[in-house]
Amino acid sequence: MRQDEAINRIINKNKKMKSIILGIAIAASTLAACNNSNNSSPESKTAAKDTDKTNLANTVSIKEIVSGYLQVKNAFTNDNTNGAATAGTFLETTIKNFDKSALTAAQKKIFEDVEDDAREHAEHIGANGGNIAHQREHFEMLSKDIYDLVKSFGNNGQTLYKDFCPMYNDNKGAFWISETKEIKNPYLGNAMPTCGTIKEELK
Amino acid sequence: MKILKKIALALLAVFVVIQFIQPAHNKSDGISATDISGVVNIPDSVRVLLKNACYDCHSNNTDYPWYVNVQPMGWLMAKHIKDGKAQLNFNEFGSYSARRQQSKLKSIASQVSDGEMPLSSYTWMHKNARLNEQEKALIIKWAQQSKDSLSAKN
Repeated sequence: MRQDEAINRIINKNKKMKSIILGIAIAASTLAACNNSNNSSPESKTAAKDTDKTNLANTVSIKEIVSGYLQVKNAFTNDNTNGAATAGTFLETTIKNFDKSALTAAQKKIFEDVEDDAREHAEHIGANGGNIAHQREHFEMLSKDIYDLVKSFGNNGQTLYKDFCPMYNDNKGAFWISETKEIKNPYLGNAMPTCGTIKEELK
Repeated sequence: MKILKKIALALLAVFVVIQFIQPAHNKSDGISATDISGVVNIPDSVRVLLKNACYDCHSNNTDYPWYVNVQPMGWLMAKHIKDGKAQLNFNEFGSYSARRQQSKLKSIASQVSDGEMPLSSYTWMHKNARLNEQEKALIIKWAQQSKDSLSAKN
């Protein structure tokens, strides 16, 4: 009889322990779910591997960075959050693999000032598919980086436009870089596709 | 019943064993040379808020709760702190490029304004880290002003 009681007690204790472990496991998974950069990291890793290969074959130029940016921008004009994420990850890799050896000391200084910042914005756009508002916050900062790069390095003769939307971000406004004369707003997307004006032509 | 007991005992054993794997704690002495206070001015009212709501994951000093010693909570915390510091470390803010410093200040303002930071899973356990509207506004205003002062400098 006594023995039975003792066994029961142990079993009860174990049950309690089990529920504690279960509780911890649930808490752990909830906390992990909040960490959005985690969710997409396997995807970005495979994407990074693929682009590594293509970049080995072609010499990277500023034009590739700009074209990566334009892909992100064009996804945003269609409110395509996952498309922007894919393009963002691609852009991150393009910036990472940019060959700085051909740059002069002065150019290198300009590029390195932009590099870390732009790469981080591209990374966040890549990691936050599904949260387009957050992606667009980074896109705004990325646009300034790309503008400064194009101003310093040019874009191999391709004409670009600096467009400004006065309504985004509670009427604080924001600009973006476009390859077309026609306005297609990446901040407000389909809600306000033609909001904005050309502020500058970049040749 | 016997099987259940065995499983429970096995789980218990695992639970006991993992207690011995303790991650290193995020602690350091003194103010680092690259601390944000060397870059921008932080009024005391804001400093207290940042310390209570941000520094556990975004500085080199974490104020640990007791359950850090219970695994796997400690591991989870270590991972959050590592990720948090990689994104933004107030003690290493001075090592960022001027451009990145401005981006960080802008992101601080927007993350607090959007209610994304501090993480709700964190404030759930840390009452001290909860920010009311007034406190949020204080941080946002400070971050924006600091960003403007940096962009005027550069």
